[in-house]
Amino acid sequence: MIHEARARGTVGIFTQMADAATPEVAPGDAAQAALAFLTEMSPDLRGAAILDSSGAVLAAAADSERWEEDAAVLFAAADRAGGEPAEQVHVATEQGEVFALRHDGLAAVAVTERFALASLTFFDLRATLRELASSAAEG
Amino acid sequence: MAPKPHRVVLDRVSGYADEAAAYMRRRRVSRRPFARLYYPSGRSSDHADDSTAGAELFVAAGRLIEVAGKRAKPSPS
Repeated sequence: MIHEARARGTVGIFTQMADAATPEVAPGDAAQAALAFLTEMSPDLRGAAILDSSGAVLAAAADSERWEEDAAVLFAAADRAGGEPAEQVHVATEQGEVFALRHDGLAAVAVTERFALASLTFFDLRATLRELASSAAEG
Repeated sequence: MAPKPHRVVLDRVSGYADEAAAYMRRRRVSRRPFARLYYPSGRSSDHADDSTAGAELFVAAGRLIEVAGKRAKPSPS
């Protein structure tokens, strides 16, 4: 069950990102620092993960392996739903809200409390990824 | 007798705060779960939870919510 996404080859969906042409992978330490900063400045955030263009976790709130698998499943479902790679995903449930974003060849997934402000959350995620991508390009 | 000026301001601010609180309450009560996708072209699409695509998105989101767990409440200091 856990490896269904991998078996279906859905991990490859990260390579279909809209702007995946940008330079590779931000270093893990920078991603960890960015995630810590994101967590600190977002009071509604329960957990988040930052992934590279291949879908591998660069930084995650806890269980990296599960974040990687579940993020792949979410992006795969999103891409199937629209017939083209989605840039942003927002799913609001009774238990919490999920935000996922692809930007600059990276991806971020965040889980927040209910009624978190979507525009602010996406703004924070996008700023985090942009900064990581630019620091990777410089480094 | 006319009310004191500061009471007028106070009443007005309280009125706005009450309106905002009522709006947030209505939003909480009336908002249903949804799944929304945005594309680079600017297009967006909504998927109901009883559609195939919507159900997949909700299942995937549920798993992520489970992984994230509950946010620890800040300890009183």
